[in-house]
Amino acid sequence: MSYIHVEHLSKSFQIRKKREQGKLLREKQTIRALEDVSFEIEQGELIGYIGPNGAGKSTTVKILSGILTPDGGEALVGGRIPWRNRKEYVQHIGVVFGQRMQLWWDVPILESYSLLRDIYRVPETAYQKRLGELTEALNLGELLRTPLRQLSLGQRMRAELCGSLLHQPEILFLDEPTIGLDAVSKLALRDFLRWENREHRTTILLTTHDMEDIAALCARVMVLGHGRKLYDGSLQELLHRYDRTRTVDIRYDADGILPTLPDSVAVQREGDGLRLTYQPEKLATAELLALLQQAGPIREMTVQPQNIDHLIADMYREMGL
Amino acid sequence: MKAYLSVFRMRLRMETQYRGAVLGGVVCQIFFGLILIAVYRALYAGKPQSLPLAHVTTYVWLQQAFFRMLLSSDAELMDKVRTGGIAYDLCRPVHLYGFYYARILAQKLMGSLLRALPMLVFAALLPEGWGIALPASVPALALSLAALLLGLCCVCAMENITMAFTMRTLDPRGFQAMLNLLMMILSGSLLPLTLYPDSWQWVITLLPYAQMLDAPIRLYTGEYALPQAPGVLLLQGGWTAVLILTGMMLWKRNQRRLIIQGG
Repeated sequence: MSYIHVEHLSKSFQIRKKREQGKLLREKQTIRALEDVSFEIEQGELIGYIGPNGAGKSTTVKILSGILTPDGGEALVGGRIPWRNRKEYVQHIGVVFGQRMQLWWDVPILESYSLLRDIYRVPETAYQKRLGELTEALNLGELLRTPLRQLSLGQRMRAELCGSLLHQPEILFLDEPTIGLDAVSKLALRDFLRWENREHRTTILLTTHDMEDIAALCARVMVLGHGRKLYDGSLQELLHRYDRTRTVDIRYDADGILPTLPDSVAVQREGDGLRLTYQPEKLATAELLALLQQAGPIREMTVQPQNIDHLIADMYREMGL
Repeated sequence: MKAYLSVFRMRLRMETQYRGAVLGGVVCQIFFGLILIAVYRALYAGKPQSLPLAHVTTYVWLQQAFFRMLLSSDAELMDKVRTGGIAYDLCRPVHLYGFYYARILAQKLMGSLLRALPMLVFAALLPEGWGIALPASVPALALSLAALLLGLCCVCAMENITMAFTMRTLDPRGFQAMLNLLMMILSGSLLPLTLYPDSWQWVITLLPYAQMLDAPIRLYTGEYALPQAPGVLLLQGGWTAVLILTGMMLWKRNQRRLIIQGG
């Protein structure tokens, strides 16, 4: 059986709506956070879990990390049911909530790590080995004696990640780990996740809104929307399915040249050149090129695929999210 | 067990880091102590009360010295509960109630010791009628220390219950203000419980709030004679056990219906 087995998982919450005018009591509303979600994940996979805000991603992570109990369905992680025997189960998992902190604010991070060692009952030799390995991979060496409050956001995220992995969990749930990080920190974090996944075969479930993260790390993605699973497969195929438009930036030798093009191509003035958007399915690139050349000598030209964020936004729109 | 000891030690250390806060607290509480005593002196000058003045001044100093034990909460912990940072603690292989109990215990213990020691030295140097009197006897001192320890355990259990409620309402301010007021009045922080009418004494000394500081102080001053001590300690222990069990139950129920909101 697969390492993670989820079948027909569902969870709903009751929230109270704002009181409507003329009514005495506030009405309750049921939000279906997860509806009949099923998937399998193998040991050692690095999976992206995406979807717009409120899609149910965090709910899934909370159920799989034993914090929430679902209303229905099954889940097995490494042969254990997350919400039964919470204490025993969580010994085997690691979690990073990108927007929350687990390390202590006012004490050096090394001391927070010692506390985590005691909490997870990691033997001293194993702890030292793992700590050395992680501090090297995450480049934390000089920061160990610094209180958390003095670290930058990027340093803090690296420190948090180290804390979540000290007990060498079989699986790591990452909930938006790159939120607010600069480019260098993001790249370093990605390198590290790849390393941890390869070196220890740690299964990683990555929840994020950063499509670059997904593209860089995950061979497989699952898309969630309105509590339902909408897609499960390779990122390439997903992109292929929705990646239908190309953008051409073109500048002619002479100003003011306007090529005659079919209606399916959108034309926009951009500085002293033109920006065209076309769909290769409707108009072959070769035909477009021919039309462009007829209009006059071309000075320069670039063809770009659609920006991945736009693509995902298109996809969400098409899926009705 | 190591996890609980470890979080206890960690919180102890953290408490020692805020030296400025300790100094500020000491100065503030000394100021309060002096003002209160001046008020009681004025009251006694006008109309002498049944209780000797030295008892009252001792009571006031001990209350002020251990003020931190009663009326202060772990702000970081409250924040965690309010903002959902508690999600991390729920993913730890520990018993949540015990984990938080150890943390609260450390904060209250170190927080009050750091302030109490300099304050008691200061109060002992004050002239008679202003300062703190010696304990009634050596055994009385020993018993009051034991009672203080039990009182500490009792406060921590109470605080853990407050935390459990905070988890439901998500905003501790409203009822915390109310609970603090109850605590101020019923623990003797505002007015020594010994000054309440005799007809009130049997009710007020039976309540859990009286077990925290009032009982140890009365053992110290000799208000409670030595033969009464076992009964007092038993009552303290009883309340502590009841509060701990209640807290555990509340946490258990919370955990079952828990929702950590937001992403």
